Amino acid sequence: MKLLITGASGFLGNYVVAEALRRGHQVRAVVRPSSNEKRLTWHNHPNIELIRLDLRRKDGIVDAVRGMDAVIHLAAAKEGDFYTRFAGTVIATENLLDAMIAAGMLRLVDISTFSVYDYQGLPSGTTITEDSLIESNPLERDEYAQTKLLQEELVREFEQNHNAQVTIVRPGLIYGRDNLWSTLLGGKLTDNLWLRIGAYATMPLTYVENCAEAIVSAVCDEAIAQTLNIVDDNLPTQRSYVKKLKQHSYSIPRLIPVNWTLMRFIAWIMWTYNQLVLKGKARLPGIFIPRVLDARFKHFHFSNRSAKQILNWQPKYSLDTALERSCSNVELLEASSKTPALQPLGS
Amino acid sequence: MATKLKSAVIGTGAISKEHLSFLSECDRVHLASVCDLSKASASYAAQRFGADSIYTDYRQMLDEIKPDVVHILTPPHTHKLIASNCLEAGAHVFCEKPITPTYDEFQELCALAKSHNRWLIENQNYCFNETILAIEKLVADGVLGEIQEVSVTIALPIRDGGVFADENLPNPIHKMPAGVIHDFITHLCSLIVRFIPDFDRVSAAWSNHGGGDLFRYDDLDAIAIAGSAHARIRFSAHTSPKAFNVIVRGSKGYAETDLFQPYLRCVIPRAGELLSPLINHFVNGCDLVGASFTNFRNKIMQKTPYEGMHRLLDQTYQALIDGKAPPISFADMERTNRLVNALLSEANRV
Repeated sequence: MKLLITGASGFLGNYVVAEALRRGHQVRAVVRPSSNEKRLTWHNHPNIELIRLDLRRKDGIVDAVRGMDAVIHLAAAKEGDFYTRFAGTVIATENLLDAMIAAGMLRLVDISTFSVYDYQGLPSGTTITEDSLIESNPLERDEYAQTKLLQEELVREFEQNHNAQVTIVRPGLIYGRDNLWSTLLGGKLTDNLWLRIGAYATMPLTYVENCAEAIVSAVCDEAIAQTLNIVDDNLPTQRSYVKKLKQHSYSIPRLIPVNWTLMRFIAWIMWTYNQLVLKGKARLPGIFIPRVLDARFKHFHFSNRSAKQILNWQPKYSLDTALERSCSNVELLEASSKTPALQPLGS
Repeated sequence: MATKLKSAVIGTGAISKEHLSFLSECDRVHLASVCDLSKASASYAAQRFGADSIYTDYRQMLDEIKPDVVHILTPPHTHKLIASNCLEAGAHVFCEKPITPTYDEFQELCALAKSHNRWLIENQNYCFNETILAIEKLVADGVLGEIQEVSVTIALPIRDGGVFADENLPNPIHKMPAGVIHDFITHLCSLIVRFIPDFDRVSAAWSNHGGGDLFRYDDLDAIAIAGSAHARIRFSAHTSPKAFNVIVRGSKGYAETDLFQPYLRCVIPRAGELLSPLINHFVNGCDLVGASFTNFRNKIMQKTPYEGMHRLLDQTYQALIDGKAPPISFADMERTNRLVNALLSEANRV
């Protein structure tokens, strides 16, 4: 297939492009104008065409989309204030969808996130599936969740108003090389000091190579009109994940442990005080907002059954193998071989 | 029932939050519409702040909504055309700074507003911040004596990331005559002319210390002189931490503030020549400690350096309803933009 992949130079995008090339797809990879293509392992692959675009501006997007069979849309802003993220996530998506309509190309795999669920409204211990409640009060969530919710709304409108063939993929927290530490473990106090909140919540992780495989698989016809959660099998708890990081000699920041129930109680006290006394006008750090806290640390189970059934996908790498690969020197983004081989550490 | 003016907003980027939060809460305003080239952005703003309608074409909005007041929050190079259309449609215009790229365009726009008997108001919000009003009162009460020196300095690391440093989608402000400094120059100059209205001589050094093609200038060091009164106008992208210092020195004493971390330090004769320095130290120390607690509270309560904008908008709407002149007059804007023009005419001379 001919695939347009946005956000190609990002953490996940890099792996998705490599996986698409391995599967023999022709890839038109959208990178930002200032991106250094030499840092992209696959930039001179015979089946790759690099397109320099900023999706926040409409110019050139229709031409980029024209002639493609499907779009895998990964581009999003993960840094900055709300309006910076709004431009990089929502307006970028709006421009892309307008271009797809103009080009008459209506097959989209949109990469959303687990952040869209209403974790506060769901009882502890629930299994999160694609049918779980969507966040009903986004203004109490962080900017990332807010903008990804708005992005999903746009994509749903696109699907309904234009009979578009849409697949929404919602990955859990994606980890991999250079991205092993997680905000699901606690709250950052300083560069090397974290508040570790809870220990026994299951982490909805997906290893980046597993996730990339699922995303490329989602261009199949069976995935049209589906929403798919992507998490790996045998998910670790916070405690077991940190333990495994230590086993792989990962440099763990200093941690101040806080019991989950105590942290939640403190957050509820502060939230209630804000609502009753301060009329909700105070802006508290995320860990003192119950809705944000629940999204990161509440105890849930997570299902990947739909993705396995519909995409015929299996997370190839276990947590142990994934960490081993992440901490090795093997080139994970090599696009020519079917599966990059694992080299011994330090080779 | 209180009189309400029908308001509309064109441009729903980052600064719109400050305007829309006022418009959605003020009982003298009916927020009729928001307009943006991005439908998603307009829809979000309308939903978040309770506007009745959304548009992606401002001319259609002017035709159909017929607003009393339009807030223009688009990039500066678009202001003149949009403001002209709004004034011709019979709306008062509240426009983000800088109102136009050049002084000539500003004068044309003012003339158009006057010919249509409409008000044109440039956002000079920092002049309405609490500590600036407090310094103005000190001046008005004669506590500082006759003004001899005003210094306004903005220090912002605009090269270290953020919208101005974005090379993928260069901010339109880079194409303005003063480049990125044009985004701040109205603030710098409006505060200066608040205390020293006119100048005989101006000297300005415009520099691009960081180099590269994206930034035209990243540093301004200017002096303006009116009789014996001196003004220093300074923008720096290379000093830390972020600051927005205003110092007003008079023949009797001086007052200073930082609009990003507000405090008011007032050094004046308090108890004779011998004891004044000591008492000033104690009083200033107490004021600083008090300001620290206030700033901490303000940070939590989301009271930002834009606090003056709500005060300015409140006074503006009250004036429009009462049929009086708004708090930013044509003369205020004229003085500010004349100084901006004088500084710009010094570009590349040093």
